[in-house]
Amino acid sequence: MNRRKMLSLLGASPVLLVGLPANAEPTKTSAEAKSAGASSSLGKIEGLNPKGTPPPVQLFPMAPRLDSLDGKTVWLVDTGFEGGGYLLQQIQLWFKQSMPNVTTVFRRKAGPYMEDDPALWKEIKDKGHAAIMAVGH
Amino acid sequence: MVTQAFKELAILNVAKRGMPKLRITFTPHPVAAKTPEQLHAYVEGNDPVSGKPMMKEIVDALTVPLSADEKKTGVVQVSIGPEKYGPDTPKNLQQFYHDNGMTDFLPVIIPTEEAVEEMLKGTSRKPDELVGKMAGGAYPPWSYTVRQVAINAVMAGCKPEYFPVILAIASSGTPSLMSSTNSFAYAAVINGPIRDKLQMNYGIGALGPFAQSNAAIGRAWTLVSRNLANGGIAGDTYLGSQGNNLNYNNLIMAENEQASPWVPFHVQKGFKAEESVVSLFRGLGIVPGQGARGTSTDTPKYEEQFSDLFSVFTGFFGGLVVADPLIAANLKGRGYDTKDTLIDWLYKNTTQTVKDYKSRDFAYGFDYPRALKGLEPYKTWYAMPDDAVIPRWPHRDDINVIVVGGQTNAFFQGGSLSYTVSVSIDKWA
Repeated sequence: MNRRKMLSLLGASPVLLVGLPANAEPTKTSAEAKSAGASSSLGKIEGLNPKGTPPPVQLFPMAPRLDSLDGKTVWLVDTGFEGGGYLLQQIQLWFKQSMPNVTTVFRRKAGPYMEDDPALWKEIKDKGHAAIMAVGH
Repeated sequence: MVTQAFKELAILNVAKRGMPKLRITFTPHPVAAKTPEQLHAYVEGNDPVSGKPMMKEIVDALTVPLSADEKKTGVVQVSIGPEKYGPDTPKNLQQFYHDNGMTDFLPVIIPTEEAVEEMLKGTSRKPDELVGKMAGGAYPPWSYTVRQVAINAVMAGCKPEYFPVILAIASSGTPSLMSSTNSFAYAAVINGPIRDKLQMNYGIGALGPFAQSNAAIGRAWTLVSRNLANGGIAGDTYLGSQGNNLNYNNLIMAENEQASPWVPFHVQKGFKAEESVVSLFRGLGIVPGQGARGTSTDTPKYEEQFSDLFSVFTGFFGGLVVADPLIAANLKGRGYDTKDTLIDWLYKNTTQTVKDYKSRDFAYGFDYPRALKGLEPYKTWYAMPDDAVIPRWPHRDDINVIVVGGQTNAFFQGGSLSYTVSVSIDKWA
């Protein structure tokens, strides 16, 4: 299954994926190679699919949205990539200047970027209304 | 929020993790090494993907009600396509495998039913037995059977007698293609009788292209990682900025046990000498040590040369000494009776200042958060003054030594490579 097809099934826009190479299921082939399962003919052979078995995708609904951010508390979460924290500090400044009724809380996620931080997620659920997480460097 | 360079990764990742409509705002890339003024301009500017004002997009993402698609639940099965391709000419099929990203873009052996059946004779395991799971990139792992591994072993040019080695590597779940923006390299050290059974080269030119078994086993690891784990898709499951030439067939090193004065590597890890074992390493690569300090003297101190070489490596990965038997014999003659005595010396004498340590990107990304969590030695190191001297590696066990080479000269190579796991090959025979 290619990226476009997979994301269509999952509900994402395939328009975003134009030009990307194949993912799981082949997309580019000769007409003959598409005819899987046909018997061999003179000078022609069949090749087996070398792919492993992907897990199914469990879909999760997104969290309900807020009516507005007015009077709400937004957590700004730095995952630890270089520069992400500094960008969030600028976003914190933007909220202070442009939406002063919004309270922001800056946190660096505990542990390296690939480690979970359930204590922080609980803290946000208990005390916050929304969260913005920064990924990338 | 995600930086623009990771657009494809972010979109695919949220889809594969079950939230395909997750609201993502993109920023220009990079955000690292930018001044506050530059970052402020990012915040005041537009999302480079959508073209919309970044902060309005963020506020909308938090406040616009969810669509029906965003509330979807359920399970989506992901297909990998038909069981076989063709019939077609070998030339067309060869190109088909290349075009669909199933190769390393060098010619492969077409995995016909007959060739795969022949490969399966190399193990006593059942074709449908589950071998393991492997994650290509930051995604949930894929699973694979003995038969699926065999298909890739055929493509790589393996003989059936190599197959237990491939199965052992695959069973570890360790991909040789890593998703990091670093361009990782992987290595496998092979010990025991299997080395001679497969006519592996551990003598002259051991690390070069001079033996079918060394070459094909290494290549199979890459094809296994590519096809069985969906790894190595640039921009999706592979993000190494520059790539690594070692990824073609990895660094396959059969230890020269016969010429080594020390115990073999697998025995160090608790296996019996008569067992055949593959031990895996992960890191950044390997560098020849020729030209190091003292090499032209009549009393070379190879341990100092190793230390010099490691001094330019990050200590985030382990240090792997790959010594020719001539060097190993010299060190043994100078009192290093075991690999452990050499490792002790290297750990104590290969150092760095705290200032240099803190300035490394790996320290910032991995060790600093560990220090904040109270983990040692990072907590202590981060509390020390900048001019304090600390070991290059956090732990003594981060250093390993193997003996490889044909004794044509006293040369060595130093790897920025961490030991990860050893797997019995015999169990997969």
